[in-house]
Amino acid sequence: MEKQPLLKMERVSKYFPGVQALDSVDFEVYPGEILGFLGENGAGKSTLIKILSGIHAKNEGAIWFDGQQINPQTPHEAQKWGISTIHQELALVPYLTVAENIFLNREPRHILGLVDFKRMNREAEALLRDLGADIPGHKLIQDLNVAAQQMVEIAKAMSHNARLILMDEPTSALSSKEVTALFALMQRLKERDVSVVFVSHRLDEIRQIVDRVIIMRDGRRVGTLPIADATEQKIIRMMVGRDVGLFPKEEAEIGPPVLELRNLAGQNGAKGINLTVRKGEIVGLAGLIGAGRTELVRLICGVDPLAEGEILIDGKQVKIKSPTDAVRYGIGWIPEDRKLHGLILGMDVQENTTMAILPRISNLLGAINQKEAKDISSRYVETLSIVTPGLNQTTRNLSGGNQQKVVLAKWLSTKPKLLIMDEPTRGIDVGAKTEVHGLMSRLAQQGMGILMISSEMPEIIGMSDRVIVMCQGRITGEFDRDNLNQEEIMRCATHFLTVDGETMTEPETISKIEEN
Amino acid sequence: MNNTATKSGQDIGSVTSRLLETIKGLFRVPEFVMFLVVVILFVIGAIMNPRFVGIENQKILTRDAAILAIAAIGVGFTIITAGIDLSVGSIVGLGGVFAALFVVKMGMPIWLGIILTLAIGALIGTFHGWYVTRFNMHGFLVTLVTLGVARGVLLVVTNATPITGVPDGFKFLGQGYLFFDLIPVPVIICAIVAGLAYYLLRFTYIGRQIYAAGGNIEATRLSGVNVNARIMLCYIISVVCAALVGIIQAARLSLGHPGAGEGFELLAITACILGGLSLMGGQGSVIGILVGSLLIAVLQNEMVMLNINPFWHKIVIGSVLLVAITFDYARRRRRN
Repeated sequence: MEKQPLLKMERVSKYFPGVQALDSVDFEVYPGEILGFLGENGAGKSTLIKILSGIHAKNEGAIWFDGQQINPQTPHEAQKWGISTIHQELALVPYLTVAENIFLNREPRHILGLVDFKRMNREAEALLRDLGADIPGHKLIQDLNVAAQQMVEIAKAMSHNARLILMDEPTSALSSKEVTALFALMQRLKERDVSVVFVSHRLDEIRQIVDRVIIMRDGRRVGTLPIADATEQKIIRMMVGRDVGLFPKEEAEIGPPVLELRNLAGQNGAKGINLTVRKGEIVGLAGLIGAGRTELVRLICGVDPLAEGEILIDGKQVKIKSPTDAVRYGIGWIPEDRKLHGLILGMDVQENTTMAILPRISNLLGAINQKEAKDISSRYVETLSIVTPGLNQTTRNLSGGNQQKVVLAKWLSTKPKLLIMDEPTRGIDVGAKTEVHGLMSRLAQQGMGILMISSEMPEIIGMSDRVIVMCQGRITGEFDRDNLNQEEIMRCATHFLTVDGETMTEPETISKIEEN
Repeated sequence: MNNTATKSGQDIGSVTSRLLETIKGLFRVPEFVMFLVVVILFVIGAIMNPRFVGIENQKILTRDAAILAIAAIGVGFTIITAGIDLSVGSIVGLGGVFAALFVVKMGMPIWLGIILTLAIGALIGTFHGWYVTRFNMHGFLVTLVTLGVARGVLLVVTNATPITGVPDGFKFLGQGYLFFDLIPVPVIICAIVAGLAYYLLRFTYIGRQIYAAGGNIEATRLSGVNVNARIMLCYIISVVCAALVGIIQAARLSLGHPGAGEGFELLAITACILGGLSLMGGQGSVIGILVGSLLIAVLQNEMVMLNINPFWHKIVIGSVLLVAITFDYARRRRRN
């Protein structure tokens, strides 16, 4: 290429405790380019964007912007250089107006020092009109839909004279009409020589708008394709192409169904779910983050209310109205966030291990049988090899892997028929990971049915007897162990509906906002 | 000879170091530190005014402490769930007036009047608990409503005039003594309440689930615990305890006074926090609440004995609360 890159990163690395998030990554963006930035969850995309926007500091490497070496330490500093980020979670103040948000902390003033609202609204509207959006400056942010809020964020970035805008999955919450509007806006930015880095999982979308794609996997840059060569197939192969088979899933006898879901739907997004888990079977639930997998589990466990459908346990239809019912029917749930939903951090190992079985180990007067509690928890400490100074160690002070094992112990002590594991090895070290996988195999062999949610492809491929793929709250694919194929799974996981039936009926497009 | 000397020297060394460890460990227990403060206050009181340690004054002091402790144990339950009950003061007034109303005006037997009063308390507590769990609301809000409304109801019902003429049997609850005229009846009632509360919180699964709900309500709910029922129970206990205090106060004053218990929630909550309960929930013990109540009672009693202008009492108690919450936050920050 004859043009000099606007942004150039050389051999940038970033370590987090126990993980190398970025491994010597080169990255470049040319002026007026729309760059597609792709990879699975956890491939390092977000880390790289956070380094550029001054949220994380890099450990190694160098960054040049417009010929000067930079090292932004705060988002404010990145903004001064002309790098603005539109995060997935929008960073606007909902109770302030559009104009107040755009000019936050640099409001135009009268001579007396009072805010000149008229001028501020006028300038905000002018900025937005330049981007092709007609939103009144005096409207409150909370009254706008997500698409319009995004426009405001971009206008705010432009008012900071941004030359590079990083967008982290900006289309995930938009309807197809709104996506078209956003793409038109990106085109305008491009005409003004502003560069855009666009992160998305929707491959068809990416191919409509970007000039070039960069693909990440496991913290490394694994490929670069000009858009003309970037077929969906090629992109997916680069995203998932890695060795698998490190997981000790052992053969287990598969019996009759433990859990059957028939046409399950809830208000939380999961819909039309038909799914079976059998005794001794590990069913992997694959999909991207936000595909509706955790929502499905919340329906099964009675946390969120069921809108329609049936749940069958051991072939009998059951009504699960609360987690208490779920525990009674023999369902155990190891949640994704163990600190928020799994443990009571201020309580010790024994108290946490016995939390789900307290009434069972208490006498008629309600007194807990301390000896039994101690026996049960020390048995699990031993079988799961939980490393702790003692049963009365506060779980706050344990390592991530051991905390996860305590949550496991809590559920195993209930002797569940069905164990639901949501990202069972997230954020724990490799050794503990292998132990958890080995344990899953053993539990399956003992006849437990396991439903495992995982966003890690190797884990899904290695541990599952059967894989079910979800996208947008629906099941989009099912594979037997013999027919497992990473590329096919990824294709199902990105199988977004192009005509969004439900979102279309809501008249919340940008043109509509002007009227009210 | 030389050898034995060194050896015993080492023994003494290890014994003292172990003793030091034990003492250091004790100082990490907030209940123990507070108890030391009580002892120090007690000694100061004894030096400043010998009558302070006299038997008559001790009867007053322990009765005050016991009455406060009953209310504080009640509020303590809500604080352990990471909630609070601000209605205590008004419920104390309500309990006294309603008991007097039932017994004097309606001529009910004393036991029936008491049971009815406590049942009304349980109803109000159920209402609080229902609001807190149904709307996932902080207890602060709905109990603040009761703080106002209950006091208003009292004034309407009594037309702002105290109900006098309670029978002697009723007065016994507040003024009587047992065991050779030494132990005030409220102290015995308090011992029963504290014993039950201690058993519930320390030994039963329900108590464990209450602490768990205060520590991490979502994790507890997902473990299959009926957290709503546990939280409801805590709010019921809180109001029933406050109503019981109201009955005792009325018995002590020989009348149901519509202004009784004004500001009592401040004392009860302060006692809990002094006793080591965290406002973030999940922590604290009945022993701590007892020590905290005793501390406040000693402080108040001393202020009376030392002829400190009563107008100053609230300022002193408020300042003690400030010190306590500062320590509470400092302790938590160090841990994180």
